[in-house]
Amino acid sequence: MAPTLPERKRKTRELEPESDDEFANVVFDGVLSQSEDEFDDLSDEEDKDDDESGNEGSQSNDEEDDALLSDDIPSDVDGEEEIRKLLKNVEIEIDEPGVDPKREEEEDPDKNYTVETDANGNERYVYEEIDPIYDSDDSDAQGPVNTIGDIPLSFYDTYPHIGYDINGKKIMRPAAGDALQNLLDSIEIPKGWTGLTDINTGNPLNLTQEELELVRRVQMGLSTDDLHDPYPEMVEYFTSKEEKMPLSAAPEPKRRFLPSKHEAKQVMKLVRAIREGRILPYKPPRSARGRSRRRRRFTLTSGKTRRPKSPIRCTFLRPNSPPWLRHELQPACRIFAEEREAWEALDPEEREKDYMPQKYGALRKVPAWDTLVNERFERCMDLYLAPRVRKNRLNIDPNSLLPKLPSPSELKPFPTVAQTIFRGHDGRVRSVAIDPTGLTVASGGDDGTVRVWELLTGRQIWSVKLSSDEAVNAVRWRPSKDSFILAAATGEDIFLMVPTHASVTPTLDQASRDILSVGFGYATNGQKQAAPTGKEPPAKWARPGTKLEDDGVLIRITVRSTVKVISWHRRGDHFTTVSPSGQRSSVAIHTLSKHLTQIPFRKLSGLAQTAAFHPSRPLFFVATQQTIRCYDLQKLELIKAIQPGAKWISSFDIHPGGDNLIAGSYDKRLLWHDLDLSNRPYKTMRFHGEAIRTVRFHKGGLPLFADASDDGTLQIFHGKVPSDQLENPTIVPVKILKGHKVVSKLGVLDMDWHPKEPWCVSAGADGTIRLWM
Amino acid sequence: MAKIKKRGATGAARNYITRTQAVKKLQISLPDFRKLCIWKGIYPREPRNKRKVTKSVTASTTFYYTKDIQYLLHEPLLQKFREQKVLEKKISKALGRGDNSDAARWERNAARPEATGKPRYTLNHVIRERYPTFIDAVRDLDDCLSMLFLFANLPSTSAVPARMIARCERLCLEFQHYLIVSNSLRKSFLSIKGIYYQANIQGEDVLWLVPYKFNQRIVGDVDFRIMGTFVEFYMTLLSFVNYRLFTSIGIKYPPKFDQLKDEQGAELGAFSLEGVNIATDGDEIKAITNGESQHGPDPKVQAAVDKIVEELKADSSVDKASTEVVAVADEEEGEQASDSLDKFEPAAPGGDVLPQPTQASGNVSQLFSKFTVYLSRETPRQPLEFLLRAFGCKRIGWDSVLGEGSFTTDESDPSITHQIVDRPVVQAVNGTEDNGEDNQTSQKITQNQRYPGRIYVQPQWVWDSVNDVELKSPELYAPGAGLPPHLSPFVKTANGQYDPTLPLDAQETEAEALDAEIESDAENANAEEQEQSDEDVENDMNVDSANGDESEVDAEEFAGVSDDDVEEDEEEAAILQRQREVEAELSGKSLKSKSVDAKSKSKLDQKKALEKKAREEAEDLERAKGMLSKKKRKLFEQMQFSNKKKSTEDTVLRAKRRKLEKEQRKARATLA
Repeated sequence: MAPTLPERKRKTRELEPESDDEFANVVFDGVLSQSEDEFDDLSDEEDKDDDESGNEGSQSNDEEDDALLSDDIPSDVDGEEEIRKLLKNVEIEIDEPGVDPKREEEEDPDKNYTVETDANGNERYVYEEIDPIYDSDDSDAQGPVNTIGDIPLSFYDTYPHIGYDINGKKIMRPAAGDALQNLLDSIEIPKGWTGLTDINTGNPLNLTQEELELVRRVQMGLSTDDLHDPYPEMVEYFTSKEEKMPLSAAPEPKRRFLPSKHEAKQVMKLVRAIREGRILPYKPPRSARGRSRRRRRFTLTSGKTRRPKSPIRCTFLRPNSPPWLRHELQPACRIFAEEREAWEALDPEEREKDYMPQKYGALRKVPAWDTLVNERFERCMDLYLAPRVRKNRLNIDPNSLLPKLPSPSELKPFPTVAQTIFRGHDGRVRSVAIDPTGLTVASGGDDGTVRVWELLTGRQIWSVKLSSDEAVNAVRWRPSKDSFILAAATGEDIFLMVPTHASVTPTLDQASRDILSVGFGYATNGQKQAAPTGKEPPAKWARPGTKLEDDGVLIRITVRSTVKVISWHRRGDHFTTVSPSGQRSSVAIHTLSKHLTQIPFRKLSGLAQTAAFHPSRPLFFVATQQTIRCYDLQKLELIKAIQPGAKWISSFDIHPGGDNLIAGSYDKRLLWHDLDLSNRPYKTMRFHGEAIRTVRFHKGGLPLFADASDDGTLQIFHGKVPSDQLENPTIVPVKILKGHKVVSKLGVLDMDWHPKEPWCVSAGADGTIRLWM
Repeated sequence: MAKIKKRGATGAARNYITRTQAVKKLQISLPDFRKLCIWKGIYPREPRNKRKVTKSVTASTTFYYTKDIQYLLHEPLLQKFREQKVLEKKISKALGRGDNSDAARWERNAARPEATGKPRYTLNHVIRERYPTFIDAVRDLDDCLSMLFLFANLPSTSAVPARMIARCERLCLEFQHYLIVSNSLRKSFLSIKGIYYQANIQGEDVLWLVPYKFNQRIVGDVDFRIMGTFVEFYMTLLSFVNYRLFTSIGIKYPPKFDQLKDEQGAELGAFSLEGVNIATDGDEIKAITNGESQHGPDPKVQAAVDKIVEELKADSSVDKASTEVVAVADEEEGEQASDSLDKFEPAAPGGDVLPQPTQASGNVSQLFSKFTVYLSRETPRQPLEFLLRAFGCKRIGWDSVLGEGSFTTDESDPSITHQIVDRPVVQAVNGTEDNGEDNQTSQKITQNQRYPGRIYVQPQWVWDSVNDVELKSPELYAPGAGLPPHLSPFVKTANGQYDPTLPLDAQETEAEALDAEIESDAENANAEEQEQSDEDVENDMNVDSANGDESEVDAEEFAGVSDDDVEEDEEEAAILQRQREVEAELSGKSLKSKSVDAKSKSKLDQKKALEKKAREEAEDLERAKGMLSKKKRKLFEQMQFSNKKKSTEDTVLRAKRRKLEKEQRKARATLA
């Protein structure tokens, strides 16, 4: 209790600016004079007061105070007023130290006044203020009222107060507040705000909670009090339920089923009246003029409204579509008699036009058109019966469909004619390759020989017979200019040789031989290690024998099955061979410097067809019949599988840039893949009538590629890969090179590009090699 | 597991409905269904796969969208049809009972639906539904107008009641009145089927066909009930359209109709238009009064004409007058041209081409406005009157035979500036002496009598002037003259297509021109040789055969033969040439046609070069085509096909014209 009282004091202090000066002084004095003890006393007394006045709450003082502040008194001002009263009591009690209040009260509990001595020393009765407690009869007792009587409030305009309360004290004018305050008030409208001012107090007149509730009820159309129930429970006069024991069990009377005689009389009355003409059954018909005037017309809406969206409705075809209205009456060209005959000979339905232009000398000679009514009728029938189909007419220039190809002059240079024909092979030439310097051509054929030719002259400069019974399937030069090494595959053997040739300087020759022989020491070491494993080594590296060694063939590698493809790594230290028939060991990678052969794939899904190294990165491509797989050689993992969609890939080649790949297939397709773009081909070209054997890019910087086919032709394409990644490569077919003869359904078996020039050589089944330039 | 789908519950089977099913669903008879379909604009649809719709489908099964039929279910007309059916049943039952008075009463009541409080059906709501905007209705006006104009010209039969025809005629005339007042007629064309008119109504081109005024022959099986249904709909449509058009230009609709005048054949003249505004009602009667209300012709024009007539009298030469009138007209056109848009020609290449309107519409209303036209007895009055009025002519007179409503029936009226005649010129025997007499008074004129001071033209002059929006030179259209070609104004020749108005040189391709020249050269040579002598029979024959070969090549080229054949022909020609030289040597003569050959050789070379170029282009095209996808290639080939067809058509036309011109030239040469 004790600690709460100072709070109240603080409150009063806060209220000070609003209250009367005198009053404030008093209060302050009193408060200042009090001590802690007195506080206790005071509170005790107050407790007793409360009990006596029958206040139901035997609760703590504070609570009561709070109740006073909050419950009974609606507004702040009233609260102040109340506090003032309360404080007055306090003051009085304190001011009267001589009197023992307890005793007095015990004497006369009903006495509600105190006796004071006034200034003259006489007794003075000071009455307590009437407290309109809850159960008091005094229902009229309200808050303090302005007791100025019937005087206009404007009289007080010049004073700081607006009237007097019942005790004759001035009621001060409530602070008007500054503009800012008004603004804030207007923003935060309190509940029940009316915007009016109470005349008597000068305070804003707000609606109370009850009044608001009343307004709400009126607005909602409810009754003004809760007591009225708008939906009382229905009391049925006749029950909807069928009673078991009805009041009357009489059957339906017959009259309910008979026509009413009364009604019949009424109708007859009307009928009689109509017959006699006394009343008219219908409105009399209006005159003809009136009718026509009454024809209701309304304007069709002007183009503003949107037509309803209805996908199923097509517009009607327009009749008389003008294209066939062509110079009819006076044809500029005389119609020749044959034409007319031809037109007349046709069946009427097959005629393109249903009329024949005819010349009449003058308008008066023009006859009627016989079939006009029929034509109109046909049109009507069409409108009524013809099913309609929406046809979207493509109104575009057909040439816009064509891709923009660079002109042939821009595409130059590319090979066009057969410059040299190399003859000498007996039987088919299986493989052909131009050496890295571009001076010589190596070839291998069915006769088991490898021949080296001078490129421009077509002169054979070197030849070796590797096998008497098996064909040379592949010849490939080691791709570096510091050596002159040729790899050739015949049957299961791969031979590495250094052709002797006039242009090969002894130093170059020696360098080549060194490169080949350096591995021999290594190989012995390697074999020592490999032998204990007990497995058969994947390949045997050996010297081919003195006879061949004299010819320049220095190494013979024997693998397990027939080798069909040789492909060098760009540095020339490794090469891969593919033998499609060898199951597990179909793909082998050979290391020249170590004389080592490795089988990278223990298991390969599908038959390997060909393999190649990536031109710049450590990637390895293997083509099986339907897919081309790309492996990372460092991480030893599959990077991507390309699916050209061909049934049987014959060969592929990788663009020198490394991002594009072409594949040829035995099912006549040439497929261009953009490796970054997709696994599916970017372009599929089907220009060949027969299987494609070889595809090859030009490696010397020219945007060319070519394919060789069994139909005896080579097709040269311009395939430019733009440096910008976003652009698509342009592929333009430029030339078909014809010349090779087709022998037993085989045409061109292999081809190779010159390392620098736009020349290519091709090996044909007809036993010739051709240089195209 | 997913729910098993029931057959026929979704898809095509659900979306389509056969006609029999539809009729059953709507519970009406087939003719009623037909009517409903015609009016509501519902037509059959072709399902993509008929089998998917129903199993028992035949070739002639008609399908409708189920949604369409559902939409018909709510149609108020359906109720009317049913009521009608009920009434018919009632009457037949009553007749069966022998209750004739009842039947008669029901029938009588049905005949006067307004009076019984049960109004007959109207198609107003259908029009509103089908044409949500006015412009939609205008777009659909082509069929409507062609149909109504045809019916307006039909004889009345039991199938086509006279009332319907009268109403059609009236609606058509009202529509024509709108076109006249608003000057929205643009083009017209005399074809063998009838007269085509094209009007521009609120930016929309409307084209319709009006038959010539002959009794229409009805051959074959024409179901007039179907036509009648259409006509009923179109009549409602046109009345709405007319109403809106009339109110849009501030004229009261329906216009005042004079029954008496109409019976006398006044046609357009039977209507008098009133302004819709009450304030202007009194003075602004826009009736086609044919100038009668103005008490004679426009004073200005009259003065001009009088002046000319005076001059004529002094000069007494018809030709000069006509040219002067034309000159006056030309001057006025020149003034108008200053208001019209200027033509923007690009100063430098590379800019975008902006479309420009080709002609100012101001010309349209004033083309004939200065003239007083008189129509001779033999001319078709209705189309001429309509056309002249639509292009600004205010005073049109005609012979009283042609009907009421003319400006003057007096052929000798001095205010007449133009007379349209369509009769053959009979060589007058004594016509020259009449010229000296006073024209104003003489009523009896001989057959070939011409009034001085007016221009005589054939009717085609009006059409050609209208289509080109400029007055054509009347000399070309003088009576008896061979008329210039009347070409369809609706055909827009695209670039490269045959255009009959242009000379041949301007449009033929290089190859064609060369061919033609070579041919003509050869013929000339031929002719020369024939002239020279026929001593050297062998030689002549050779030349002939060479010419023959060449013409064969020409023929083949039209058919588009591959180059191999051409090469072969070239070889043949070379061989022939060599042979000819050898023969000349043998006979000891110099080659006669050497000089000719030199000329023709250069042309042949040119031709060869052209062919080579064409071949190269074809190769390029082939290459480019190779790069297309299959789908695109097919599309491309299709387009090429249709283009080729068109171009061969054009080539044939040009060849025809070349032949014709050559013949004409020859004829002229022989005459000379």
